[in-house]
Amino acid sequence: MRTLSLLAAPLVLVACVKGNPTDLGEFVGEGGTYHIKDCGYDVTTRYGAEAPKPGQPIFGPDPTPRLVHLGIIGDPKTTIVAQWRTGDEVTRASQIRFAKGADLQANELTETREGLEFAYDSTGAVSPRMHQAHLCELEPGTAYSYQVGGTDATGRQSFSPVYTFHTAPDVIAHPDAEVVFGFVGDSRGGYDVWNMLISQLSTRSPDLILFSGDAVTIGLTQLEWEEFFARAEPLFARVPFVSAHGNHEVNAVNYYAQIAMPGDQENFGLDYGFAHVTVGNDTPDDISKLAGEFKTKIDADMTKSEAARWKLFMHHQPMFSASTRHGPSMTLQDAWLSTVDKHHIDLVLNGHDHDYEVSKPMINKQVQASSANATVFVVAGGAGAELYDNGMDFWTLYSEKTYSAAIIHVRRDQLTLDAFRQDGTPLPQGFSKTKP
Amino acid sequence: MIWRVLLALVACAAIASADPETDADAAFRRAGELAARSDPAAITAFEALGAARPITRWTDDAWAEAARLAENARDYARARRDYLQVVALGTDDRLVARARGALARIEELGGERWDAVRAAHERLASVVNGDGDPRSGLRELAELVRANPAYPRANVARLTIAMGWESEGDRETALGWFRAAADAGRSEPGQHVRLEYVRALVRAGELADADLELSSLDAALVDHGGARQAAEALAAAHHGRKIRIGLALALALLIAAGAIVARREVGSWRALAKIFARPPLEVWFLAPLAVLLAVVAWPGNPLVARAVRWIGIAGVATAWLSGSLLEAARTASPLRTRRTLLHVLLVIAAVGAAAYLVVDGLGLLGLLEETWRGGPAMQ
Repeated sequence: MRTLSLLAAPLVLVACVKGNPTDLGEFVGEGGTYHIKDCGYDVTTRYGAEAPKPGQPIFGPDPTPRLVHLGIIGDPKTTIVAQWRTGDEVTRASQIRFAKGADLQANELTETREGLEFAYDSTGAVSPRMHQAHLCELEPGTAYSYQVGGTDATGRQSFSPVYTFHTAPDVIAHPDAEVVFGFVGDSRGGYDVWNMLISQLSTRSPDLILFSGDAVTIGLTQLEWEEFFARAEPLFARVPFVSAHGNHEVNAVNYYAQIAMPGDQENFGLDYGFAHVTVGNDTPDDISKLAGEFKTKIDADMTKSEAARWKLFMHHQPMFSASTRHGPSMTLQDAWLSTVDKHHIDLVLNGHDHDYEVSKPMINKQVQASSANATVFVVAGGAGAELYDNGMDFWTLYSEKTYSAAIIHVRRDQLTLDAFRQDGTPLPQGFSKTKP
Repeated sequence: MIWRVLLALVACAAIASADPETDADAAFRRAGELAARSDPAAITAFEALGAARPITRWTDDAWAEAARLAENARDYARARRDYLQVVALGTDDRLVARARGALARIEELGGERWDAVRAAHERLASVVNGDGDPRSGLRELAELVRANPAYPRANVARLTIAMGWESEGDRETALGWFRAAADAGRSEPGQHVRLEYVRALVRAGELADADLELSSLDAALVDHGGARQAAEALAAAHHGRKIRIGLALALALLIAAGAIVARREVGSWRALAKIFARPPLEVWFLAPLAVLLAVVAWPGNPLVARAVRWIGIAGVATAWLSGSLLEAARTASPLRTRRTLLHVLLVIAAVGAAAYLVVDGLGLLGLLEETWRGGPAMQ
């Protein structure tokens, strides 16, 4: 009996530390799908998360919205997703108020939409609960003000400050439209530098943030995600972001639950302005998917967007890097390089090596004299993680051991990339290309 | 008369076809091509299009592009002028927001007074961070900082100098510049520079100084997340140092104990030295293998290659010691199983300790941890 109780003691201890998931309701954790009728798409959660469901007018002890950030699932010209958490993890109320126009006051937000919520399993005593609100049928190239939060059954309200976002422009109606992407990655473990880069990116007013992965050291550690989103909130509440899955995210449910993205959230594409951005997961749970299922998906997305004016491809681990830490991934070259060459991708964006590198124009591992049909590979994995030594190889145009982020300007005939260090000083080598 | 009418009709047709939007579109495209070729004339071409009238949909875009190119060319006065044109036109709220952001960036550096210093700073930052010998650039940048201590980005430059000397392996000079930056950044919100100093002290192994600096951070100003991470890194460094000292002591103890036992077995230090002077069979077996592994690893990841080299050297040294000690033991009496087993266990422990010291010394523990967690790195 004594032995039995000794054996049971650690289990009881674990249960106490973990907390009882039933406190949160029927925590299922097997994922599920909810159809957003107005937008015409589904929201799917993965194993480890509850199925998404409409919010209810229930407040917990602290319903204050926090960690507000925007995402994209549908067409960025007409849709946006607002995501947030609350001070507690039991508030179920989930609403968004919004109106057309920049920097409006809360009392000017005339429209309201109901949101969704779902909990997901994670480290810590309580399962975090995500809230999402989906806005559709918006006008392209237009500023909207919004706030998120909810109202309980007694009419009590708790809403965030008012933020402004912009929808993507309609490039048919506006051939002079310019869109600006912020490009950054590998913040893990260096959130004071991440904070500085967020400030620098904010002054450059990007339309979309492309994050190349490794936001946190271990994807399951919720505390680190909170740090990541808290630092980014001033920017991410105004600018949607899409992310490539990094090896440190370890395909954790936390990653997929907190970042709303198109398709399966791993391999997808989206049109934004004159650019088509394809995103790939180069750290699948099964490595054989790289050259199989994932390659097929990436190829299909690039084929579908063949007519796009500018083609960008973002994934985490570089095919070409001269850093002495990880260096070039031959596995990825074997799996994906032929697809990149076949579709004449203009710019490949990576992280993983914590330095800044720009390659010469490349086709099939050969340096080209001109970037006309060739691809340039950029590594900017310096958003805060410990820096790695840079290096030079036959493909390297420029490399530097530095914290960095970049701004990509996309116009009909021009694609430019300007990079800068965490203090805002510009890096000497970017990228520029025109098309007739 | 008919000729005059015809001439007027032709003139009208010509005017009708000269659509300002189409012309501006073509002019924008031409200027963009100049910019892609890094031709300085691109700025002038964009400015000309911005100044042309009537206003077209490309007018504000032209000023924005001219300003961006001027900023990149470190011609801040020109960039300021061109960004102000975008703001004055006010036709696109996104372009205006970006122009205001850029103007704020330029102005926060103290305005035109510091334009020349800023341009020199950015040029030198590129020199010291670029491919090539950075030392003359570092010295020049140091002179620039000393001559302009009130320059709003002097501390950024100090950090650049510190990191530059750190990369060059001049730890003392690097720490001096880190310290100077930290002292100048005492009242800075976030205390980022002081955190950078803590991290540099940890990298340099100056853990007592790092403890001191970390404990003296201003709690009201410091970035608490950053301070927590620096404290974690410092704690890990303390822990790592204890392990390293323990392993090094254990290795030294093993070698000393082995030598004393062997000396007792062979009878004199001279006889033992004779045995040690002859490479045992294990070395002839292991040395070519170590060389082969080093050659195979050489073209791959340089850090891993260096680790393989050093582990190979440590392995051969251990094999030499181990073989010689066994040889000494054999001269005294036949080897017993228990003695042999103990010897093998101690050798395994010694090889493990030596490999750990090499991997840790080359800063590869993080890479090993990553590989353990995420599987082997794709190559």
